[in-house]
Amino acid sequence: MDGTLLFQSLVLGVLLGGLYAILAAGLTLYFGVMRVVMIAHAAFVILAAYLAWWFHRETGLDPLFSMVLTVPLFFVIGVLIQRVLITRLRPATLTMMSVLLTFAIALLIEGLLGLFWSGTQRRVQLSYSGDNFEFFGARIAVVKLIAFGLAVLSLALLFLLMKKTRFGLALRATIQHREAAQLVGIRTDWVAGIGFGIGLATAAIGGTALSLDATIYPSLHWSWIGPLMAIIVVGGLGSIPGTAIAALVLGVGQSLLQVELGTTWAQTLFYVALFLTLMLRPQGFFGGRLAQRF
Amino acid sequence: MASEEKDGTTRPAERPLLVLDDVYAGYGRAAMVLRGLSVKVPPRTVVCLVGPNGAGKSTVLKVASGLLRPREGRVVVDGSDVTGQGPQQMLRSGLAHVLQGHSVFREMTVEENVLLGAYTLRDRARIAERVAFVQELFPIVGERWKQLAGLLSGGQQKQVEFARSLMIDPKVVLLDEPSMGLDPKTTATVFQQITRMRDAGTAVLLVEQNARRALETADLGCVLDLGRVHISGPAAELLADQRLSELYLGGRPRSTA
Repeated sequence: MDGTLLFQSLVLGVLLGGLYAILAAGLTLYFGVMRVVMIAHAAFVILAAYLAWWFHRETGLDPLFSMVLTVPLFFVIGVLIQRVLITRLRPATLTMMSVLLTFAIALLIEGLLGLFWSGTQRRVQLSYSGDNFEFFGARIAVVKLIAFGLAVLSLALLFLLMKKTRFGLALRATIQHREAAQLVGIRTDWVAGIGFGIGLATAAIGGTALSLDATIYPSLHWSWIGPLMAIIVVGGLGSIPGTAIAALVLGVGQSLLQVELGTTWAQTLFYVALFLTLMLRPQGFFGGRLAQRF
Repeated sequence: MASEEKDGTTRPAERPLLVLDDVYAGYGRAAMVLRGLSVKVPPRTVVCLVGPNGAGKSTVLKVASGLLRPREGRVVVDGSDVTGQGPQQMLRSGLAHVLQGHSVFREMTVEENVLLGAYTLRDRARIAERVAFVQELFPIVGERWKQLAGLLSGGQQKQVEFARSLMIDPKVVLLDEPSMGLDPKTTATVFQQITRMRDAGTAVLLVEQNARRALETADLGCVLDLGRVHISGPAAELLADQRLSELYLGGRPRSTA
């Protein structure tokens, strides 16, 4: 591998890692706050990508504008899923049962996508779709950079929300000690509901970013959920900075391996990282204690 | 210190701050843990619940703080009936609950922990006043203000929890096994702090495994067995009772020399 190619892969890896980070942030949030394994997260990402594509086709406007509708919509859906469905699961078996419940939601979304828009592959065509520019010898597609910018911006907002707002304080307290949070007057059930809504809102942002640069089809979410799950475990469940770091590292790793091994084998990096993490450091490499740090 | 509370200053006429009246409570479909439990906490008093494991001591506190709704019976705080209300409302009516074991928010600073105790308060001047108060009552809290709470020792964490619970200036503090897992020296400090809380004007309902030590600190004692109060009275009298000592406190009363 020569220097230019290496640098090119590195840059692409960072851009990819940014997208992974925003897609995985929601997952780690659900687990951190509610011990919910949200299998349907990637399905919602693909749903958002479809909505962006559809919005563009129907209105002719840039798919990025679809977020004005999808972000609030997903937020509300998230709150409802938590308040109406997740709270009915028995606390003792919540994590296991949430896998089944959200697996069903994922299948439902996949089925509905096929029903409305068929199994045909779809892709957004934009005036700037093919544009790229040179960056110290590396070629960067404009759409990838936009997706990356969107991811970084929303992660920064999420971080500020967690660290600087009263709601963020309540959410962190709920994650760290739910009963003690109740005893200082935090309505932990609503905090969990809103936390779930925020997680799903990040799926809307991530899906829109994805739609700029990916060919989408209803079952695409299955190839995303595995790597995303691996990222949140490597990053330390519940830790947003941990997730971001793990996403970048694995994104870059995948991008570099792709050059030598091809796309399919490069994907195995996630599962190798997952196994190594579970064997050596089950609490995650960047999160410290399970689901407590932010 | 216990004696000065007792020589003629027990106030039977004063309205108790917390009353649990004939309470039945339990978890899920399992059998009732509390079966007709009644207990009263008068102002400026430390009331201690002792009794064997599984007698329902912690459950009493959970009912009082709203974490567990009673199936039957009444909870009255300072004259008003608050039966069946959740933790938020209980907090508002002046009950603060310090849980068993460690319950600090580990990945937050001491400052964030203490300020979370004032989560339901809006008045900044009032919050600052309370911060000054708890820092004076628990000096260690002020000294470790900017440190992560999870890194403090067990006894220090307990004091952060005490400080957090006092932020709302509660009428009654409910303490669940505050000495659990602490070494004897730290335990002594914690019990001193409990007396200081009372002297600062907060009534205390205390649950302790370490029964003898707790009764030495408390003004009144209740012996719980099978979900109800078996015997109650001034703590010193319970301590002196030979039969009680053998049954519940592990061994004979200490000589009062």
